[in-house]
Amino acid sequence: MATAGPDRRPAAASVLAAALAIAGCGSAGAPHSPGTYSWLRPAAAPAGWQVGRLPSRAAAFAYPRGWRPIRTDPGTFSAALKGRDGQILGYLNATPRSGAETLANWARFRVAHNREEGDRSVVRESAASGLRFRSGTGSCVTDRYLTSSDARYREIACIVRGAHATTVIVAAAPPADWPRLAPQLRRAVSSFS
Amino acid sequence: MITRILAAGAIALGSLGTFTGAAIAESGHHTAAHAAKHHRHHHRSHHGIPQHTRGDKDADNNGGPSDGDGRT
Repeated sequence: MATAGPDRRPAAASVLAAALAIAGCGSAGAPHSPGTYSWLRPAAAPAGWQVGRLPSRAAAFAYPRGWRPIRTDPGTFSAALKGRDGQILGYLNATPRSGAETLANWARFRVAHNREEGDRSVVRESAASGLRFRSGTGSCVTDRYLTSSDARYREIACIVRGAHATTVIVAAAPPADWPRLAPQLRRAVSSFS
Repeated sequence: MITRILAAGAIALGSLGTFTGAAIAESGHHTAAHAAKHHRHHHRSHHGIPQHTRGDKDADNNGGPSDGDGRT
């Protein structure tokens, strides 16, 4: 029938969109899809990993062997895996909430903040809220950007509200190293408490 | 204000030449140093985490990955 095609296309598109959402193919258009972060499984530090804590002891995360604490802002903790030339290949940071960021505005805030700090070509890839961490509930965003020194990074940035404090954890790596380091970065974020 | 006073003095006492110029330069340096000191004090004492390149010098301010600091 001549009218059957047009009637079926919207329905088929809806089914496809629902299937993609369920499959966790999150993008900038799906900012609240927890399925995208199904890798987030709160758990204690793996054996052999070190634990880095904020000076206030309000939050902590585990970082892999071979990573080292690096210079960071007062009140924060950072660990990194560096290349032979000193470039940061893998980066983990915990920082107490310090600005207007909230669990509700996190996806927009983080991307805008990176732009404000001079990063270019900032692209939000996915975001989710209502995520469970060891110490509370959080919102996460995954984005990529180009720094002022032309280094490219991809990051998972989460804000977590615990019983006594709200803290941001960032896990980043160059896109080229992402496939290799993502399991460690995700494991570190999952250990956040 | 101090710089303006010294500049006015330099015009009035032009015969002092280079000495006055040095005094102005030193005053300017002092003012800048004082401003920088105030800047550091301001951010550390009132906001916790220092900001901008002169304050924290952490990775995100030197072209590295962005940290979790929510202020610019």
